[in-house]
Amino acid sequence: MEYVKKDLGSYKLHMVKTNRFKTITVRVAFHSPVVKEEITLRNVLCDMFLQSSSKYPSKRDLTIEAQELYAADIQTHNSRFGNYNNLDIYLSVLHDRYTEEGNFKKALEFLNEIIFHPDVKAQKFSSEKLEIVKSTMRSNLSSLKEDGASYSLLRLFEVMDKGRVSSYRMVGYLEDLDKITPDALYQYYQKTIRSDMVDVFVIGDIDFKEMTKMIREVIPVKTVKRQKIPYLLSEVKPRSRKIYAREITNASQSKLAIGCRSYGLSSYERNYVLTLYNIIFGGSSDSKLFQEVREKNSLCYVINSVPNKLDHLILIRAGIDKENYSRTLELIDQILQDMRKGNFSEHDIDVAKEYFCTALDEMEDNPGRILDNYYMMELIGTDDLEEKRRKIMSVSKADIVKVAKKIKMDTVFLLEGDSHEEN
Amino acid sequence: MKKINLKGLDLVVYTETLSNGLDVIFVPFEKKSNYYISYATRFGSEITSFTPAGEKKSIKVPDGIAHFLEHKMFEQESGEDPFAYFSKSGTGANASTSYDNTQYICYGTKNFIDNLRYLIQYVNAPYYTDENVEKEKGIIAEELKMYADLPDVQLETKLRENVYHVHPRRVDIGGTVDEIYKITKEDLYLCYHNFYSPNNMFILVVGKFPMDEAMSVIHQELDTRENLEKAEITTIKEKKSVRKKEDCFVGNIQVPKIAVGLKVPIADLGTYDDLELDLYLTMFTTMLFGSSSLFRERARNEKLLNNFYSDWDNTEQYKTYMILSSTNHPESLVQEIKEELANHELDEAMFDRMKKVWIANEVKMADYIDSTVNNIFDDMIRYHKVIPNKVDIIRKMNIKTLEKIVSKIDFDNLSVVIMNAQEEVL
Repeated sequence: MEYVKKDLGSYKLHMVKTNRFKTITVRVAFHSPVVKEEITLRNVLCDMFLQSSSKYPSKRDLTIEAQELYAADIQTHNSRFGNYNNLDIYLSVLHDRYTEEGNFKKALEFLNEIIFHPDVKAQKFSSEKLEIVKSTMRSNLSSLKEDGASYSLLRLFEVMDKGRVSSYRMVGYLEDLDKITPDALYQYYQKTIRSDMVDVFVIGDIDFKEMTKMIREVIPVKTVKRQKIPYLLSEVKPRSRKIYAREITNASQSKLAIGCRSYGLSSYERNYVLTLYNIIFGGSSDSKLFQEVREKNSLCYVINSVPNKLDHLILIRAGIDKENYSRTLELIDQILQDMRKGNFSEHDIDVAKEYFCTALDEMEDNPGRILDNYYMMELIGTDDLEEKRRKIMSVSKADIVKVAKKIKMDTVFLLEGDSHEEN
Repeated sequence: MKKINLKGLDLVVYTETLSNGLDVIFVPFEKKSNYYISYATRFGSEITSFTPAGEKKSIKVPDGIAHFLEHKMFEQESGEDPFAYFSKSGTGANASTSYDNTQYICYGTKNFIDNLRYLIQYVNAPYYTDENVEKEKGIIAEELKMYADLPDVQLETKLRENVYHVHPRRVDIGGTVDEIYKITKEDLYLCYHNFYSPNNMFILVVGKFPMDEAMSVIHQELDTRENLEKAEITTIKEKKSVRKKEDCFVGNIQVPKIAVGLKVPIADLGTYDDLELDLYLTMFTTMLFGSSSLFRERARNEKLLNNFYSDWDNTEQYKTYMILSSTNHPESLVQEIKEELANHELDEAMFDRMKKVWIANEVKMADYIDSTVNNIFDDMIRYHKVIPNKVDIIRKMNIKTLEKIVSKIDFDNLSVVIMNAQEEVL
């Protein structure tokens, strides 16, 4: 695998040459600081890219063209990454040797059409298409409670981090949706294309020189931008008294969502020590949480923890019977304390290191994840794979205990199921 | 081992059947880092009535027993937790139960030989006690409740109850809380001994691994494993008609949902190869309801669809096409679907384009270890063999055969379920 990064002035082009895959994958990443009032607008824009374009007047026409390109896969995706919102447009297409000469070039032109030639007339997006997108989004935003697990997390953030970027609903807001007009959307589109930072990634069996030329032609972004704010959120001191919140829902199972805060971690601690801490604590199927709460006490089926590193948060979630709420909470608190006391073995640490290294190996079989890794290196200066392998091995038990002492339970949210089970 | 070239996909598959009937399938990938092992039995949730080997009378075991058994496989007499064993080398492990199979898997990049041996050994060594069976009930009850709370699951369950009269696919794979509380260790051993026999199982290994060593481990661990006499699965007497044509209920949702099930008796369609029949039926519904269909375009423009999910449910005697969708206009959407089925038009240009797409997708899937596993696994379950020439079979599909098969379908044999939103409580 060979990696090259080229500064094309207004954006960086990252290319990975490898013969591991039959496809070529292209990712165009637009990123800019999250603005709460623009989240919904950005989600709508993200969907509009795949509704129609100037040359393809309907989603069906777009789909047919993608099919004609030997099932080219094109997707758009919006997500938050620390203080930033990333709008990614992906194209994955078979290498010409499996299709026909010139197919990849045509697929790139298709990508160009979708991004740079939207269905716009008189500085307005098609209102008919906008209404379709809004209608679907309205339904989705009205149905958030259907998925109790996600909804409980969303509510946890709102209670725990009120006013901070981490509390924003990245799915968007109904009240903002109604305000979106065809011309407001076009203005936002212009702003995104002109002032977002852009990174372009390509991975596959490619020729660097030829690819650079092709990408220059199809991604004609011109303006130069600079990073405005850091990706990492500012830290918040953990609360001296925990917040307990609950909401009732009509379900037989209750969802427990707990937010813990980390404070004062160095970047080495955040990227390596915390990762191992979490694998041991709740990130794997033989973690302390899984073993104690599920296997030994039969209190739940799902229980795990995930670190949101850029937000300085560790999230714990479990699906429980509401009768077992206090008991589950006590056990979790006990395990957090055990971690601080160093009640885990060298063997646990070795296993966690193995997990981490295997995950790195597995990454190499997936083009999207290889690109993710280079993206993180670009955005927040994470280490490359070799450096990661080396650094993780040097983490000691004392390092993990030190981090464990900097993690504190902050907010507990229970989405309480109030119905009795029906069979 | 027998070598099979998967034409057009740059893949080579090696197969061997042990003397006791266990099938072994290897798919080596030189350019990848991972390996993936699946040890599977053709025992899933839909087998609940059978005559055990050596017995004369058919018995009924509690619903959800295959899934319960899967959970309990992880209990070892030594007290060692298989998850912990695999994680020593950073290897992931899991298991899953479906209507027609149960599989135990591990995947990783290290310690291949030991992990293969361990996977076989732990699945070959059941250890059920009254205590460990009891302990699992709380965990599984929470798992069942988690799924039962999901509106999409409630809707699909209702549709299955209305499509099938008696078929076990009426019941969720995990069973019900009441049923699983009846399960005893004796039930589990009985199912294990009747369905975890080598002639009912196979091992599939895909990715980067040493083939010769893998084969010798499999011989060492499995050559001496004996079959019981085979259990006889009780024939399911399922009527042709759907059980209930129309139904509606109120769910804990804000936007309504609909489900449609078209039940097609296989015997009505004529004699075809199983794979071909599946391809043609899937082609039919892809042309009618797929992402590039006219139906989807029309429904989108009329804002009838928020999302759309559909798939074929395949049982031995029936194929049921199931649609699930979220919609603000349930009645209109159902009407559109009915009309589309009744007045379908099969466009040859679209037929040819879909063939091109399918062939391209086969090539793409062959790039990923997990997709290749799923593809070959499904073929082993559905067709009991590796399909060497799927790309050719797709290429040779013709619209005349499609029309002929479709002409035999009774489009009135439909079940429709509408799930309404709750009234706003003020």
